[in-house]
Amino acid sequence: MSDPRDNVQQEFLAEAQELVEALSRDLLLLDEAHHRNERIDPALINEIFRSVHTLKGIAGMFGYRHVGAVAHALEDLLDDLRLGRTAVGQELLDVLFDSVERFQRLLELEDPQSPEEEPGVQAYIAVVRSIGLEPEEEEGDPLDRYAIEPAVLSVLTEYEEHRLRACIREGLQLYRLRATFDLAAIDDSIETLRDVASDDAEIITYLPSMEGGNEDTIELVVLLASRVPEPELKAYFEGRYGTIEAIEERTHLPTLPPRLTSIPSAAVSMRPQPEEDLMSQASLRSVANSVRVDIRKLDHLMNVVAELALVRSAVGRIVDRFKGESMHRQSVMDLDRIGRGFERQLSELRTGILDVRMVPLGQVFNKLARIVRQAAREHDKDVRLVITGANTEVDKLIVEELTDPLMHLIRNAIDHGIERADERTRVAKPAEGTLALNAYHKGSNVVIEVEDDGGGMNAHMLRETAVARGLLSADASHELTRQEMLNLVFLPGLTTSSEITNMSGRGVGMDVVKTNILRMGGMISIASEQGIGTKITVTLPITLAIIRALIVKIASRTFALPITVVREAIPCVPEEVHTIEGREVITLRGETLSICDLARLFGFRSTSEQGGRFVVVGAMGNRELGFVVDELIGQQDVIIKSLGKSLSSVHGFAGATDLGDQKVALVLDAPALFTEYFDGPDALRALETRA
Amino acid sequence: MRPTAQKATLAPNADSDTGATAVLAVWAGNEAYGFPLSAVREILVPPPLTEVPRAARHFLGVISVRGQIITLIDLPKMLNLEVEQTAPYGRVLLIDNGEELIGVAVDRVIQVYRMEPDDIEYASAMSAELSEYVVGVGRVPSESSADAQDMLILIDPVSLLGDR
Repeated sequence: MSDPRDNVQQEFLAEAQELVEALSRDLLLLDEAHHRNERIDPALINEIFRSVHTLKGIAGMFGYRHVGAVAHALEDLLDDLRLGRTAVGQELLDVLFDSVERFQRLLELEDPQSPEEEPGVQAYIAVVRSIGLEPEEEEGDPLDRYAIEPAVLSVLTEYEEHRLRACIREGLQLYRLRATFDLAAIDDSIETLRDVASDDAEIITYLPSMEGGNEDTIELVVLLASRVPEPELKAYFEGRYGTIEAIEERTHLPTLPPRLTSIPSAAVSMRPQPEEDLMSQASLRSVANSVRVDIRKLDHLMNVVAELALVRSAVGRIVDRFKGESMHRQSVMDLDRIGRGFERQLSELRTGILDVRMVPLGQVFNKLARIVRQAAREHDKDVRLVITGANTEVDKLIVEELTDPLMHLIRNAIDHGIERADERTRVAKPAEGTLALNAYHKGSNVVIEVEDDGGGMNAHMLRETAVARGLLSADASHELTRQEMLNLVFLPGLTTSSEITNMSGRGVGMDVVKTNILRMGGMISIASEQGIGTKITVTLPITLAIIRALIVKIASRTFALPITVVREAIPCVPEEVHTIEGREVITLRGETLSICDLARLFGFRSTSEQGGRFVVVGAMGNRELGFVVDELIGQQDVIIKSLGKSLSSVHGFAGATDLGDQKVALVLDAPALFTEYFDGPDALRALETRA
Repeated sequence: MRPTAQKATLAPNADSDTGATAVLAVWAGNEAYGFPLSAVREILVPPPLTEVPRAARHFLGVISVRGQIITLIDLPKMLNLEVEQTAPYGRVLLIDNGEELIGVAVDRVIQVYRMEPDDIEYASAMSAELSEYVVGVGRVPSESSADAQDMLILIDPVSLLGDR
């Protein structure tokens, strides 16, 4: 399993994945700027170019031929874009977005060289090569209008020349800054200047002036383009860097042919290579600050921590054993103190490891942003995505599991929720629909909301559909509250037909979304107003790994129940248990509460059927269910571990946990038990009795 | 991709260089079984067992080995051999099936044999219907008499996967 080649491969895939994600993010920014007719930041295009360029490089090294070929074609296209040989347009954006999906698919291939992919890749490359808008040409070279020294013009790289023209076309004023720098620190100084300038001005180029400077200093002429008025710029740069002057537009055409003058070769060598160098500096810096870790290594560390906790409890037991004895009193007290210190450090270690597993939800949101764009285009709708709380952190595992359900919710919101622009205008809504993704922490949970300002759901239509499909009796349906009608959307049979969902206003598979969320120990709820919009709220635990649990005994076996679902525990009085329609219920503070005897559910021969038992009242969303157990042991933090592949299909258990001394307790999967009890074969009867 | 699983199988020509395979022989129920030694990670005194309700009947439950939760399998039940369970099992083998560690409950460990391909009758070459878990039957010198031979049911570790 630790084949070094495998590791290297994994490293490659992880890095490639990051590059593709960065690419996707930047493309979304580009798309947004394009749609708003904003000025497109050249740094953004450079960023995109670099991602693709790096991807091409590493793909080549690891034999991902197709990835390399696609990246190569894109690189050419992006280079044209960078140099202004082509312009940003819808077609070009589509092709670029397409590349993200394509890269991801190609990276998932078993065989990165697979000949089957060849035709598809070639076809795509042909499209990439065919694309390209002619940039709008102006009459005459704008550069000719300015009195820029031929010595400067002649050393501009193609990119710099393009940026200079672009800046002039955008109406930026050109400035010449003469600044003196310390020779020893010149690289840093220029970097600082770039940083300082970046907000207000673009540095086109710089080169040593022929005059100023001495042995230790050098005077540079920096060519700047900026929108900031001259006095402000002057106030900022002068004194700090040197003199700045505007380069005036000429009133007549130049008489000198600009490019023939030769320049001293020393001047050329003084110029640092602006592109490549900065790139490698930047990437080196980011490498130094972060490491990429295989999640399995963290799982291993977590296991080690659990082991240490066992050691700690063993020490504690020894202390307890000797506490009563006077002989080693001092030593026992010392040992006790050391043990406590050990425990504190251990809990820090555990928190630290959990912290490393946390990643911002922004990772998923970025993927979703692409889906939003795609779905909006497919359905010809204007949708604005508003994201809040992208840096809300959750466990890596949850982030991965969340992508699919959220994708589903978003597609639904766009397919069926948000109306077309003309329809929206008719009902006096803004033509552009808004889809909001909000994330925030709430206690030990993270809440994610998917909210649209579309047409909302028709609760009565949902009810009629459920009745029409035989999922609900007509009588029972009349007793449903509006909220319960909305909840019908989560029923498996209801949402599988596209014909019905078009009417009901929601897409296929809400039941699947719900199942996935419940599996992670989460909850999902829905709120919708017709004509106003729909909000779906997903609540999830922040981390899957450690939970606080109530330890209980059922037929002398130990189980753990996540405390998050436990509302209270009360003695179970056999005389108060009644049976309604084959289900056992008790009355709790005037309300009827269904109870579920876990010993019977699991097929144990219960040892203490006759009294002394407890009802643990669990709550999920707006449902309550009492679990009947034999004994309450207490609360404890437990680390949930997977039951492994062989037992993964056994329902009702979220995993197992080691309680110490090699004693294993199964962790009850409360969401699954709720679903089994309420939505099992008798789901609808339960629904009826509750209404 | 999974070198351990590859090496661990007893399939024909799996170890064509040397021909011989080291097999760990164990006793469970009324039969002797063989596992490729390369797949056996550890032999343990049985830790406390936690049964898993609703699991298939050949899953005895789960055990904790240094904090890791491991599924424990009953061999005869898995092979649908009805056995009167008399004594509690005496040892647990930790088998690497290439994907995860699986515990196999056995009565006792016999010994390690080096088996030549000629000593093995592969399931594919046999007429009898054999379980999907079985690679074949191996002949080894008898424990009791020098002339006789004992039969080992050879288990394919990779097959100890999933909820069958």
